[in-house]
Amino acid sequence: MDVPILKQGDVLIASIQAALSDQDLIALRDSLASRIGRFRSRGVIIDLMALDVLDSFATRMIRDIAYTARLRGAITVVVGIQPEVAFAMVQLGLSLEGIATALDLEEGLAHLSGRERKRAARS
Amino acid sequence: MVDLNEQTPAQLLMRDMGLTERDIARRRHIVGLEERDLTRIASLNELMASHVDEYTTAFFDYLTGLDEGRLALQNTAIAHRARQLKRGHLLAMVQTDYDVDYVAQRLELAMLYSRAGLELRVFLAAFHRLLKVIGDGIMSRFEANPSEGFETFMSLKKVAFFDIGVIVDAIVFERERVIRQQQDAIRELSTPVLQIRERLLLLPIVGVIDTHRARMITESLLRSIRASRAKVVVMDITGVATIDSRVANHLIQTVTAARLMGASVIVTGLSAEVAQSLVALGIDLTKLNTIGDLQGGLEEAERLLGQRLVTVEERGRSSASVEA
Repeated sequence: MDVPILKQGDVLIASIQAALSDQDLIALRDSLASRIGRFRSRGVIIDLMALDVLDSFATRMIRDIAYTARLRGAITVVVGIQPEVAFAMVQLGLSLEGIATALDLEEGLAHLSGRERKRAARS
Repeated sequence: MVDLNEQTPAQLLMRDMGLTERDIARRRHIVGLEERDLTRIASLNELMASHVDEYTTAFFDYLTGLDEGRLALQNTAIAHRARQLKRGHLLAMVQTDYDVDYVAQRLELAMLYSRAGLELRVFLAAFHRLLKVIGDGIMSRFEANPSEGFETFMSLKKVAFFDIGVIVDAIVFERERVIRQQQDAIRELSTPVLQIRERLLLLPIVGVIDTHRARMITESLLRSIRASRAKVVVMDITGVATIDSRVANHLIQTVTAARLMGASVIVTGLSAEVAQSLVALGIDLTKLNTIGDLQGGLEEAERLLGQRLVTVEERGRSSASVEA
């Protein structure tokens, strides 16, 4: 299943709607990496609202996406992790170390625009 | 596949108590039931069939003769059902099939007793009375051979003690069930998640944290974060007297899980002793954002939320200076 990637201004939004196979995740990583360059995006939001399980491979892929995006100049925010998913991840010892998280899409966008404002204020 | 809804309460209780085929076999072994006993007991079939009503009556007469027993059997529906089950029990006692079904029947009666509030000591006294009456019956039957009669009675007594073992365990288990439920209630009451500001939650933890409770704390916190769209959580552990490495790990897990949902957690109220013991244990708490006391934690939370508490006076002054 292909994950739709929406472009909203400077931000790319990947909304995962169903459990993904490993191939799908790799495809998502690759297409996000190329689009960040093409659209000169400054932020990436990965929405996991619809997922009720997140395994270790998926966690690693999300981390890879975030690190790749950072090297390409974009900040990644993971949003919409369900309480059960968060609890299961912690039990498995999985955490998204060093990656921004937010409650939902709205919060994620607010986080990114807040960062933009700070950057603008500095320059 | 067995549908859960089709199981009787007695079968459910049996499952909760962990009474399996193997456990029941073990119980038979413990009271010393052997082939010999079964043969002797089988010879009582006829006696029991002809006297079962007499024995049942003897048991209940003794019970109702005591104030405690009369009180428990006041409810005629319960008394009637108990009588019915007891009669079935006496007949089953000499059938020599002491298997899962037999135990399930004992449990049904035990649940009835426990519902009626029949005290164990009263029940045991009545049971003893019952054995006495049955013993009399056996001895009169074996008048010619008293020693064989005594052996037969002792064989039946093994079954009686097998039954008592099951019933006592069941009544105690039922009583402890109430205690377990109360413990759950206390646990739940003792971990409230309070919203004290828009998007700011307070999680005061008081008492001992074990694995079960840590899990409940985490679950209720995560649910509250979702429900109230919290951005910052202040976790106050002033009321936690001691922290060992296990508890510390639970706290770190809770904090990590909250972060995955986009909320940052501030831990407050680590006492000097707790802090020292954590350092001595060598637990890495760099993942935790800790602040000395609750007040400091709330101020830090406000800072994270981009709020600042000002007095009315201060506000008046600042707005006046803007106007000027």
